[in-house]
Amino acid sequence: MPEIIVKYEDKVIERIVTEKKRISIGRTNDNDIVLENRGVSRKHAMIEFNDNAAVIMDNESLNGTFVNNRKVGEDVLRDQDVVTIGKYSLVYNCNASGPADDGSDMDGTMVLNTKKQKKMLEADKAERELVAKYGGSVLLGEENSEFAEYALEREVTTIGKAKFVHVKARGFMLSGIQAKITREPEGYALVNLGRKGKTRVNGEPIERSWLKNGDLVTVGKSTFKFVEGEAQ
Amino acid sequence: MIFAVISDIHANLEALEAVLEDLRSQHIDTVYCLGDVVGYGCDPTRCLELVVEHCDIRLMGNHEYYALGLISNDYLSPVARQSAAWTQEHLTEEDIETISNFEMEAHLADIHLVHASPFEPESWRYILATQEAQRAFDCMQGTICFYGHSHLPMIFSCSTEGEIRHQVGHDFQPSDDKRYLVNVGSVGQPRDNDPKACYALFDADARTVTYRRVAYDIEKTQQKMKAAGVPELLVERLTVGQ
Repeated sequence: MPEIIVKYEDKVIERIVTEKKRISIGRTNDNDIVLENRGVSRKHAMIEFNDNAAVIMDNESLNGTFVNNRKVGEDVLRDQDVVTIGKYSLVYNCNASGPADDGSDMDGTMVLNTKKQKKMLEADKAERELVAKYGGSVLLGEENSEFAEYALEREVTTIGKAKFVHVKARGFMLSGIQAKITREPEGYALVNLGRKGKTRVNGEPIERSWLKNGDLVTVGKSTFKFVEGEAQ
Repeated sequence: MIFAVISDIHANLEALEAVLEDLRSQHIDTVYCLGDVVGYGCDPTRCLELVVEHCDIRLMGNHEYYALGLISNDYLSPVARQSAAWTQEHLTEEDIETISNFEMEAHLADIHLVHASPFEPESWRYILATQEAQRAFDCMQGTICFYGHSHLPMIFSCSTEGEIRHQVGHDFQPSDDKRYLVNVGSVGQPRDNDPKACYALFDADARTVTYRRVAYDIEKTQQKMKAAGVPELLVERLTVGQ
């Protein structure tokens, strides 16, 4: 069965496995895939599935439909093609192994969970407001964090279990200054200073790593979400 | 209980070894290190190992902060900047992990330990005159604060009336009605015109502070520094203790 992976700014919002022959994509709620964004037309595009082939058709949308960054009117989708509509990208997976999530409706189509999507967009909006409030990038406390928000306003922000660090972290065998986040012209870098393996990005131990928006930084048992602001 | 307070070793292995040897004859219970184990000298790794082995408390100095890349080298003199860069290049990952566990301050009963000043310890301020000493007295806990950073053995006292006086470091018996800031001098790069390594002892029972000066093989240190490419100025100043 074909699968469409819906992403918003590189975050996977939903995976849709469908048995339908045709799905509609647009801003309004009567579409099969609802994309809430100003850049998306009410009835933006359709995808038709015929015998292992998928065809995307743009419905004369205002801002266009793009396949692998090429504007298309109608195009055959190949496996792993990326369809871009507004700020969303839809990855076409020609043969998913099976339903990827709960929420299937009676005809086997994964219905896009608009509530979940709205929640994500609201969270996204809240993060943007935070970034605006602090005028730069922010760490949000996710787990075992002393505070909910830490503005990354210094050139170097220290993280660890010592009393004098900027961001307190908890955990066994953690160094006083376990890690630092440095603000550099290219962006923010997370550097491990203390015991190896205690500083992770998205679960992977690192020695040094550039941070991307939405990355989860874990130091010991404490986890923070990196929300990137405007470059300073 | 008698404890020794050492500070500002600055990767001078011969000076540190001489001090540790001297300590063996002093019947001390423990050693505390106030930071700047690294920087300037050419044996940071071995000095860190000895400090970890011998010192029960290990505090951060500004040179540890340079080593961890937590403060910019931009404001350092060209020589100091060159030295800080040399140190960063030569520290091992284990050295960095060791330093990452140093504390900023320590408190023991009525004793306060810090590298630079109890007032904003991370600002690495120099307590050289009354005004800065006043800020330090306002923030210190307990009756005696041992500190380092300037490499100058000095004693500031503050009476119950708030009068601050200072003297060159010397052996003394703290008075019960005063508080003190005691700079223990530098092991590895003295700057008080005496090239011998300097540290202090505190006898908590007899309530005495004693300064120790220890001769070491300065020429050996200097030869190693030259061979390592350490700036000449840093090599030469060890001869005169400036």
